[in-house]
Amino acid sequence: MSTTTPTGPPVAKADARGGRLGRNTQRLNEIGLIGAIVVLFVVLSATAPGFLSVTNQLAILRDAATIGVVAWAMTLVIVAGEIDISIGPAVAFSSVLLAKASGEWHIPFALAVLVCLAVGLLLGAGAGFLRARWGIPSFVATLGLWSALRGLAQYMTDGLPVPLEANGFLDVLAGSVLGIPTPAIIMAILFVVFLFVANRTAYGRSVFAVGGNAEAARLAGINVSRIRVILFATTGLLAAVSGLLLAARLGSGNGGASVGLEFDVIAAVVIGGTSLAGGKGSLLGTLLGVAFITVIGNGLVLLGVNAFFQDVVRGVIIVGAVLINVLLSKRNGARSS
Amino acid sequence: MSNTDVVAEVRAGTKRYPGVTALSDVDFAVRRGEVRALLGKNGAGKSTLIKVLSGAEHLDSGEALVRGKPLAGLGTRDVAALGVATVYQELSLVPEMTVAENLFLGAWPRSRGALDLRRMRAEAKEAMARIGVDIDVDSPVGSLGSAGQQLVEIARAVAQRPTLLILDEPTSSLAAAEVRQVIDVVRTVAEQGVAVIYVSHRMDEIRQVADTATVVRDGRIVETLPVRTASTHEIVAMMLGTAPEAVAARTRRPSAEPPVLSARGLVSDRLNGLDIDVRPGEILGIAGVLGSGRTETLRALVGLDRPASGEIRLRGEAVRPGAFAAMLARGLGMTPENRRREGIVPLMGVDENIVISDLRRVSRSGVLDRRAIRQAARALIDRLAIKTARPGTPIGTLSGGNQQKAVLARWLHAGSDVLLLDEPTRGVDVEAKRQIYDQMRLLADDGRAVVFVSSEVEELADVCDRIVVLRGGRAVAELSGDEIELNRVMALAIAEE
Repeated sequence: MSTTTPTGPPVAKADARGGRLGRNTQRLNEIGLIGAIVVLFVVLSATAPGFLSVTNQLAILRDAATIGVVAWAMTLVIVAGEIDISIGPAVAFSSVLLAKASGEWHIPFALAVLVCLAVGLLLGAGAGFLRARWGIPSFVATLGLWSALRGLAQYMTDGLPVPLEANGFLDVLAGSVLGIPTPAIIMAILFVVFLFVANRTAYGRSVFAVGGNAEAARLAGINVSRIRVILFATTGLLAAVSGLLLAARLGSGNGGASVGLEFDVIAAVVIGGTSLAGGKGSLLGTLLGVAFITVIGNGLVLLGVNAFFQDVVRGVIIVGAVLINVLLSKRNGARSS
Repeated sequence: MSNTDVVAEVRAGTKRYPGVTALSDVDFAVRRGEVRALLGKNGAGKSTLIKVLSGAEHLDSGEALVRGKPLAGLGTRDVAALGVATVYQELSLVPEMTVAENLFLGAWPRSRGALDLRRMRAEAKEAMARIGVDIDVDSPVGSLGSAGQQLVEIARAVAQRPTLLILDEPTSSLAAAEVRQVIDVVRTVAEQGVAVIYVSHRMDEIRQVADTATVVRDGRIVETLPVRTASTHEIVAMMLGTAPEAVAARTRRPSAEPPVLSARGLVSDRLNGLDIDVRPGEILGIAGVLGSGRTETLRALVGLDRPASGEIRLRGEAVRPGAFAAMLARGLGMTPENRRREGIVPLMGVDENIVISDLRRVSRSGVLDRRAIRQAARALIDRLAIKTARPGTPIGTLSGGNQQKAVLARWLHAGSDVLLLDEPTRGVDVEAKRQIYDQMRLLADDGRAVVFVSSEVEELADVCDRIVVLRGGRAVAELSGDEIELNRVMALAIAEE
């Protein structure tokens, strides 16, 4: 069954690492995460009924996509020393926008999809512009979006789900291709794209340079403002994609959905070894972080843990994972000095 | 002097790290009231010696004593209690707090559980008076310049009433004019009977501050000598282990070609009608005291700042001021004054730090080519003799000199032919300095224009073909070829308006 685990497509090892300092730490962290995921699999297959079933494994993949689609873009944002906390509301808003546009506003469905994507991109770019042009901290700029988009989505719908008329496109998004859930396929394709962008394009390396030392990057001729705008435009766009997937899955636009999603995404990135201080991080790490968080979430549900208590467990596990990461890098740093 | 005057001592000290012997059978002693300069290139063993005397490291064999007490088994706190205070290169102050709060950071005077602000201010004033410095103890440290902050660091160390004060490159981030203040303070402290160990790469300041100098090379003490009688070239030769002749002979070749880059009447906050011509094939030095507009000149030329008025021409064509990206694209390159803050991306490899200036050169149809990156970086690492374990080693782990060479390599990678170098030798050891001088010469010989800004007039006089002296944001003098003499440049730079 391990072939269906959400560890993603096989990748060249060297490609997956971004920052070079603490390359060993990063590798240790990744090995540790793989170990933890294996342990989770062993424990859950023994204790949680139905964990190893094909249905459940496919469900894990589908859940992983909820976080993963945005997490790749978020990795680059965090590597650049920035943060985007507007994800959950942006996803919900996008689902509402699709339902409203294609329903009440009578916009042709294909155009409505494009409008959703464009609006997501522009909103993100707007936050990026606030950061790049006026130096407003990205936490604040996206906090504004976080509040405004949630409010707008709820306001537009009076807090009620807006039903979507079924169509072939939504069916495919909500369904499977060759047995694999469509969201998981999109997540995997995006992963490959981001892996490539992060490591093999001037843009990707510039993101690492900006996160490592923005002033040095600027003096070396990198257009730092442009990079920052693109970063947030990307998370905005992918949040909109996530919104489409959500709308397809629920069959409605839902202004109250995806509460706290941004923190799952950020947690996955950080567990994966990406530094909130910027300059250092890896997409492979984030992939493992997404897998780790999703499997735990799935296991807690299967084990019948109280829904409120699940959050407690996740909180402890997230901090614990990062603590281990920090301790590892300290030990490693001490040895190499 | 009698032996009782000896404050700190190392006898037959040996210290090994895996793969290197950092100290090898070293004998070292420093007396009350003495300022001892410690000289040597990076990795010579200076830091290890300092660490041993401050209790941060322990000898493998031999012994280290402070006031006659062996340091074996003591930690840094115990050694501090014996009267050893160390000021490290990196400042450790909280910029938002006042001078007084910083002086007693973590050990603020208290009465009945609350901070005793009055006592703290009184003691802070006393501490500043003791080193003969007039700084308002209520002003935030961040509002002081780098020199002021360095003085606060020293005051904090002196407030502990040390018998041995160790200063590790206290002036590496200061301009020449500010160095004077630090030197005065160090002399004042020494006159009060404190032994001072003073590490620096600047020969001119060592002459002013120190009585004696100990030269260290490859973990051994080469010689301890009075600084007044030894010549700079002699001491540099001792540090490098080469004959003094190698340092001397050189030729100046001012260029006769038309300027590649020229500016007329630049006016900005710090510039006041500046004219300058940069010619291909020569090293143009820019001299001047702090605040004379050296850095501002470079920033205006490269388009980082937009002057209020004035004209800049590149290869005869007028350019739009403030068009940084366009200037880079047209062959300019600048290495910034503050390497750590503006030069390097510490976590990235040396290779990526070099090629970052032009990623298109190492890309094929928009995709980075790993092999091209490796080859480009490898070639420049060899050419500039950058010491790094691997091309991919994070640049933050390299010594200052090697970092500086990599930042310079960035513009060689981009193929720039006008190189503006702002203090490229600051905080760099003698060996790397020589290599940087050599590179500047090679680049000039290659027909490129090199502009060399430095606050050390000595090195400008040594290296440049032509020197422009700035004062108050204007070029007040130009010396070319054999007109260049140290005393003349110095006099022009500090002359009154």
